[in-house]
Amino acid sequence: MMRLEVMGLQRLEVVERTYYDSVTLMRVAKEIGGMEGVSSASLSMGTDANLRILAAAGFDVSNLSATPNDLIIAVMGEQDVLDLAVAKAKEYLSNPPWRQGQDGGESYKPRSLDGALTVMPEANLAVISVAGRYAGDVAMDCIAKDLNVMLYSDNVPLEKEIEVKRAAAEKGLLVMGPDCGTVVIRGVAIGMANSCPTGPVSIVAAAGTGLQEVHVQLARRGVGTLHGIGTGGRDVKSQVGGIMVEMASRLLLEDHEVQVLVIVGKPPAPEVEERILHLARGSSKPVVLGFVGGKAKGDQHPVYICRELEETAAVAAALAKGEDVPQVRAAMDAQVEELKALAKRIGPRKGYLRGLYSGGTLCYEAQLIARDILGPIHSNTPLEEHLKLEDSLRSVEHTIVDFGEDEFTQGRLHPMIDVSLRASRFQEEVKDPEVGVVLFDVVIGYGCHPDPATGLVEGIRKAKEICGDRVVFVASVCGTPDDVQDADRQRRILEEAGVVVMDSNAKASRLASFLLSLSE
Amino acid sequence: MNQKLRSLLKEGPRAVNIGVEQFAQDLAAQGVKVVQMDWRPPQAGSDLLSKLRKLKRQ
Repeated sequence: MMRLEVMGLQRLEVVERTYYDSVTLMRVAKEIGGMEGVSSASLSMGTDANLRILAAAGFDVSNLSATPNDLIIAVMGEQDVLDLAVAKAKEYLSNPPWRQGQDGGESYKPRSLDGALTVMPEANLAVISVAGRYAGDVAMDCIAKDLNVMLYSDNVPLEKEIEVKRAAAEKGLLVMGPDCGTVVIRGVAIGMANSCPTGPVSIVAAAGTGLQEVHVQLARRGVGTLHGIGTGGRDVKSQVGGIMVEMASRLLLEDHEVQVLVIVGKPPAPEVEERILHLARGSSKPVVLGFVGGKAKGDQHPVYICRELEETAAVAAALAKGEDVPQVRAAMDAQVEELKALAKRIGPRKGYLRGLYSGGTLCYEAQLIARDILGPIHSNTPLEEHLKLEDSLRSVEHTIVDFGEDEFTQGRLHPMIDVSLRASRFQEEVKDPEVGVVLFDVVIGYGCHPDPATGLVEGIRKAKEICGDRVVFVASVCGTPDDVQDADRQRRILEEAGVVVMDSNAKASRLASFLLSLSE
Repeated sequence: MNQKLRSLLKEGPRAVNIGVEQFAQDLAAQGVKVVQMDWRPPQAGSDLLSKLRKLKRQ
């Protein structure tokens, strides 16, 4: 019997007392992994968790001596390229290839917060994206220095989140996060956010891509957004008690520049929802509550209740423009019928839906919409626990997967930055003869992949060689023509590859579901 | 209202970026004043060492 040698040769190098942020490390690893003769490359800090990940990837770490303050460069491949690959990794770290031609970042970088505040005493915000185990303490230091905080980091312990938020609230400072990917302040995009006009609406969001989708949908309706304050999804849970959602909402309700307030997220804990409702009912300006999949219904001025993201933006836009909300709602209802007609024109398909998502809230919304039309949806982040996938890499029946979950992002870039995993998954899904429709999101803006559609389309073309026209690909692009990736260009690239592109995630999810439900 | 909160909401962000440098570059590209910090994790075991030293002194 032939034995396959799959491991190849490997080189591990420890660079002592050297720290780089995880995004830089993963981008360099991706560059090195793409070198000819290199089968796999990893750059990570020497934590126990990272050593375990390296061991699982086939690296021999048994004799490795590294601390969490040391950088490990690990390369596997052909013998004659290993030295070159390690040398290239070091070169790329000091001079990243994606930054060549730009300002080389030679400016002074203070080592301490005091140093940073000496350089910029007028600073009013700290943007923190260090590893979660350190991020809470860093945030506490920033609050002590009277800075508002955007906490991008995930894996911050819940107790730390509560401590940080209480300390900030006591000083009258905002903490946006943890696990908050998107913030907009006076139209400035911070983290993963879009280029949209400023205007009369402001958004408080316990949902990252939820904020992006509402922000973008408002812009498409010609309505600008002044602030988009993310709080992290846990803020509205009982333990945190909605500290920051409530504080931000009060601030914006008192702000004369804000004419319409939108509060968006997954449904809060009942007591938090009650407090938000109480606040909204006492408001002198309209408040649109977009709790995705929430049970509450009905509009009673000044409170307007929505359960989808596009609907939330449409109602908020109508209020900002002084349009009739019932009329806008009626038009949206009519669009559902138009989507059914479109599904019939495209040609209904038999079989299962497979959704491949990069945005957590978009994935959640897609599941809600698909469930109402098709029935139970399996997922790695299911609506009901019994629908959790045993293996996130293997879909069953109707499945919608969130590739932004920890299991996919350990040692790998977020799917909004690296589309390769989803691109290859397209082929896997269509190999299943029972699959009729593949649904996905394309999220663009600052912080996201420079051209996700091109990367995804490579996978779709290969998938179509397998399935031909048996499977319909349906997508939406969350972004605007002013984003660096240009939403219109992204849409064209997808459409040229035969993807049906809709104006919103809700419409894409509904169309994808109708394509399967109308096949009888 | 806290002065730093008022200035954030009324004048816009002026940021200290601690971590992923891309965020600082994106802010600078939008004309925002930003300082990138050269952040390093606290020395591993420094807490433990200081506790041990304290114990020794007792």
